Amino acid sequence: MCGINGIFAFHPSAAAPSRDEALRTREAMQTRGPDGFGLWSNSGGRCVLAHRRLSFLDLSERAAQPMLSDDGKLAITFAGEIYNFPALRAELEAQGVVFRTTSDTEALLHLYARDGEAMVEKLRGMFTFGIWDEPRQGLFLARDPYGIKPLYIANDGWTLRFASQVRALLAGGAVSRDPEAAGVVGFHLWGSVPEPFTLYRDIRALPAGHTQWIDKAGPRAPQPYIHFASILAEGARAPLAAAQIAPEVRDAVKDSVAAHLLADVEVGVFLSAGVDSGAMLGLMRDAGCSNATAITLSFAEFRGSSEDEAPLAALVAQKYGAKHIVRTVGEAEFRADLPAILAAMDQPSMDGVNTWFVAKAAREAGLKAAISGLGGDELLAGYASFRDMPRWRRHFGALAAVPGLGALARAMMNVALPGFVRANPKALGMLEYAGSWEGAYLLRRGLFLPHELPALMDKDFVAEGMRRLRPLTQLSGMLSPDPHSNNGRICVLESEHYMRNQLLRDADWAGMAHSLEIRTPLVDIALLRRLAPAIAALKPGMGKAALAAAPSIALPAEIVSRAKTGFGVPTRAWMAAAARSNREDLAETKGLTSRRWSRKVLENFVPPVGTSQAGALAR
Amino acid sequence: MLALVPDAFGGRGGIAQYNRDFLTAASTAPGIEQVEILPRHAPDAFTLPPGLRQVAPGEGRIGYILRALSMALSGKIGVIFCGHINLVPLAALAARLSRSKLVVQTHGIEAWGDPGEPYRGALESADLVLCVSRYTRAQVLSWGAINPERVAVVPNTVGSMFTPGDASALRTQWGLTGKRVLLTVARMDARERYKGHERVIASLPSLPGDVVYVVLGEGDDTARIEAFAQDTGVADRVLFKGGVGRDVLIEAYRMADLYVMPSTGEGFGIAFLEAMASGTPALGLAVAGATDALCDGALGIAASEEDFAAALARQLAAGKPDPKALSAAVLARFGSETFTACTRSVLKRLLQG
Repeated sequence: MCGINGIFAFHPSAAAPSRDEALRTREAMQTRGPDGFGLWSNSGGRCVLAHRRLSFLDLSERAAQPMLSDDGKLAITFAGEIYNFPALRAELEAQGVVFRTTSDTEALLHLYARDGEAMVEKLRGMFTFGIWDEPRQGLFLARDPYGIKPLYIANDGWTLRFASQVRALLAGGAVSRDPEAAGVVGFHLWGSVPEPFTLYRDIRALPAGHTQWIDKAGPRAPQPYIHFASILAEGARAPLAAAQIAPEVRDAVKDSVAAHLLADVEVGVFLSAGVDSGAMLGLMRDAGCSNATAITLSFAEFRGSSEDEAPLAALVAQKYGAKHIVRTVGEAEFRADLPAILAAMDQPSMDGVNTWFVAKAAREAGLKAAISGLGGDELLAGYASFRDMPRWRRHFGALAAVPGLGALARAMMNVALPGFVRANPKALGMLEYAGSWEGAYLLRRGLFLPHELPALMDKDFVAEGMRRLRPLTQLSGMLSPDPHSNNGRICVLESEHYMRNQLLRDADWAGMAHSLEIRTPLVDIALLRRLAPAIAALKPGMGKAALAAAPSIALPAEIVSRAKTGFGVPTRAWMAAAARSNREDLAETKGLTSRRWSRKVLENFVPPVGTSQAGALAR
Repeated sequence: MLALVPDAFGGRGGIAQYNRDFLTAASTAPGIEQVEILPRHAPDAFTLPPGLRQVAPGEGRIGYILRALSMALSGKIGVIFCGHINLVPLAALAARLSRSKLVVQTHGIEAWGDPGEPYRGALESADLVLCVSRYTRAQVLSWGAINPERVAVVPNTVGSMFTPGDASALRTQWGLTGKRVLLTVARMDARERYKGHERVIASLPSLPGDVVYVVLGEGDDTARIEAFAQDTGVADRVLFKGGVGRDVLIEAYRMADLYVMPSTGEGFGIAFLEAMASGTPALGLAVAGATDALCDGALGIAASEEDFAAALARQLAAGKPDPKALSAAVLARFGSETFTACTRSVLKRLLQG
C-alpha cells in the first residue's frame, strides 16, 4: 500500500525543494510503510520524491522506491496495487521490455514510457503515483478510478507538494493551515469532507479517476480518465435479462476476487455475518485460497442477540474452510484507543471506528492484507437508498418543485411543533429537496441540512462554504450524462460520494494506521464495466441474492435471509458517551448521535488560529 | 490580445511597470499575434516595443467602456487581459461578448480582501488569474471560488539598468563618506503606512553612530515621518531625499550598505529586487508578498517582526556580500529572461486549454 510524497519547485523563482521537509512529510506516514523507505532527487534538484514501503510484490530491496527507469529518465513513487500486473507484464515483455524486478512498480515505469499519460486507462487496481519525467521536466500524478487510495496536493504558486495524507503535508511545515470553508461546511453536511476539498484551503485532493501534469507553467487542471455515469448509461442501453444477472455477477465477481489475491504475502478477509464478506470468502476459496484467515469482530454487548455476528460468521468460515479468528472488543478498549483513533484520522470522519478495530485485529493476526466486502451495497443496489430515493421522488417531488414551499413549511413547523422539528430535522427537508436526485441524496446521506448549519457556525462562514462547495451542483455533475436508470443514478451517487469520501477514506486511514492493506474486490473498475448492464436491470434483493450464490458453494440460507447489519459495532452508545460529559440521554436517535460525534471529532482537528475564521471551527 | 489597463506605456508606478513588462513579454508568446492596449491613463511620452499597439486613453468612464467593447468586438481578439481588478467587470463582459479568454492580473492589497460583486463574480469567470506573489494568490483564493490551477504566479521582474557599480560620487555628494547607509525607497503616503519607515527609525538609537538612514520617496505622510525621526532623537541620522530621477535611484541602490523595508503590506516589493540586483543586500519582513522578493530568505533576509531589530544589527555587522554574485542570483530568478519565459509558459497553457 505504502505512503508517497514529493515536492516539485516548478516555478523558476522558487527555491529548490527542502529534503528535510520531504523527510518530515514521509516520516509522518510511517505506519503506511514500515517495510522500507527512500528519497530521491532529480539531477537539477527541482523535484524530490519520497516513499514509505509496505511490500506485497517482490519483497526484495531491488523493488524499493522511488524507483528509476533503466535509462534514468523516469522516477516513480507509487502506492497501491496493480491487479492486472501479470497481464501487463506479459504484454510488455512480448514487446521486448526486459524487467529487472517482479514488482508492479516497474511495470508502471515501462507503461508510462510506452503510453505516456494514457497509461492509466490500462490499469486495474488501487493506486496513486507520481512519475518524474526528466526529458519533459514535469511531474505526472495519477489516482485510481474509485479513489481507493488518497492523494493530496498543496500548490502555493511556486512549489507543488503531494502526499498520501493531509496530516503528512502539514507535518512538512510549509503548508498553511488556513481553513477551507467548503471543507468545514462539507463535513457538517455529510459527516466526511467531500473531495476535492479538505479542512485546509491550500490542500486539495487529486480527484479520483484523474491525472494531473505539472511543469514550469504550474499544475494543469486535473484531467478525468473515467466517468462512472457514462459507464452506467452505456450499460443501461442493453440491460441484462433477469436470467442472465446471476451468472454474470458470479463470473465477474469471481474474476475480481481472484485478481485481488495477487500478492507475495498472505491475504486474509474481514468476515461479518453479511452477504458481501461471506461471498468474498467463498470466492477466495474458489480462487484457490483454501485456508484463508478470516477476522470477525465480536462485542460483549451483543452476545446472545441477533446483532452478534460471530455465530453466523463461524458458520460461514467453517463452510469455506477458513481459519476463523473472533476478536472481542469492549468499551474499555474503545476508550483506550480513542486518542489513537482520532490521531490516525487523516480528515474528520463520523465513522471508521469499526474499521479501526477489524484492521487492528487483522494485524494482530499477522496479516498485511485483507479482503473486504466494501462496495457491495453500492454496486448491487443493497442500500435502502435504492428503494427510498425513487419513492421520495414520486411522493414529494411535485411538492418540492413549488418554489418556497419547503422553507415556508419549515418555518411554520418551527413555530407550531419545535420539538418535532428538532427530533426529526430531515423530515421537513422532503418538501425542499425531494424534487431532484441530488436533493434526495442530500436528504438520504446528509448529516445536517443546509438550513441547520448557521446554528453551528458563523453564518457568514457557512454562506461562504456553501458558495464554494455548491453541494447540489457537485452531485448533479456526477449524474451527467444521465445514467438512464434509477439504480444507475443511485449507484453513481453512492459510489462517488458516500463510498469515496466516507467508506474508502475510512478504510485507508484505519487500515494504514495498522499497516494493513484493505483490498476491495467489489470496488473495481473492470467489475463495474462488466456489471453495468446488470445494475440497470436489478430488482430489489436481486443483486445480493446473486452475490450470495456466486461462490461454487453458495452462502448458507441463514446469511441471505438475515437482516443486513454489516460490521455493526455498539459504537453508537460508546460514541454518545464519549461525546458527552454524562449519559443521561442515551435514548437519542442514531442521527443525533452521529451529529454529536461529528462535533467531537472535529474538535480534535486543531482550529487554525490567527485567522478570521478561527471561531468558525471552534463554536 | 486586448489589454484593458489603468496604465501601461506612458504610465507611472509599479502597476504600469508590471503591465509594460507583461505585455511586452506576451507579445512574443506563440499564438499572440498582436497586443492592443487600451489604458485609462497615459500621462507621459513613450516608445512602444514591436508587436504592441497602444491606443489613446478613452475619454471618461463611459468613453472607455464603449471603446473597450468596440475593440473587443472587432473580431480579432482571442484574449482579454485585465490589468487591474477594478476593470474586471468590464473585461469579463468584453470577454463574454467576444468569446475571448479572460486573463486577470492581481497585484497587491487591492486584491487581498473580497471585493464583492460584481468584481468577485467577474474574476471567478476568468480563465487565468495572474498574481504577483504567492501571498496575493493565497488571498485571491481565500475569497474567490476558482480552481487553484487557474491562479498562477508571475512575479515582478527587475529592470536591466539595476546593476552593481561604483557609487562613491553620490556618497560624496550626499556627505555619506565613511558612513554605513540604510536605504528605503517607497512612497510616503498616509494610505501606505505599512511600509515600515518608523520601525527603521526606531531602531537607529541602538545601532552604531556611523549608521545613516536614507529615505527616498515622497508623499503626504513625509512630514509625519520626519517628525517621528525628530521625536526619536535621530533626525540628524535620517536623510529625506524626496523623489529622485532614475539615474540617482540606481546610484542610491548601489551606494547603500543595506536596503531595508520592514513593510507589512507588500504585494511583492519590487524595490527589494532593484536593490539586490544593484548588489545591495535587502532586509524585509516575512510578511505578505515580501517573502517572494526575498525568496524566503534565500536572496534577502526575511525577518519576523519581533526579530527585525536584531536582524538589522546582524546584517550591518556582516557587511556587504559580493555584489555581482547577489545580482546574478536575483537575475536568475527574476530577470527579464525568466519573466518572459514564465509569461510565455502560462499563456501557452492558457491557449492550449
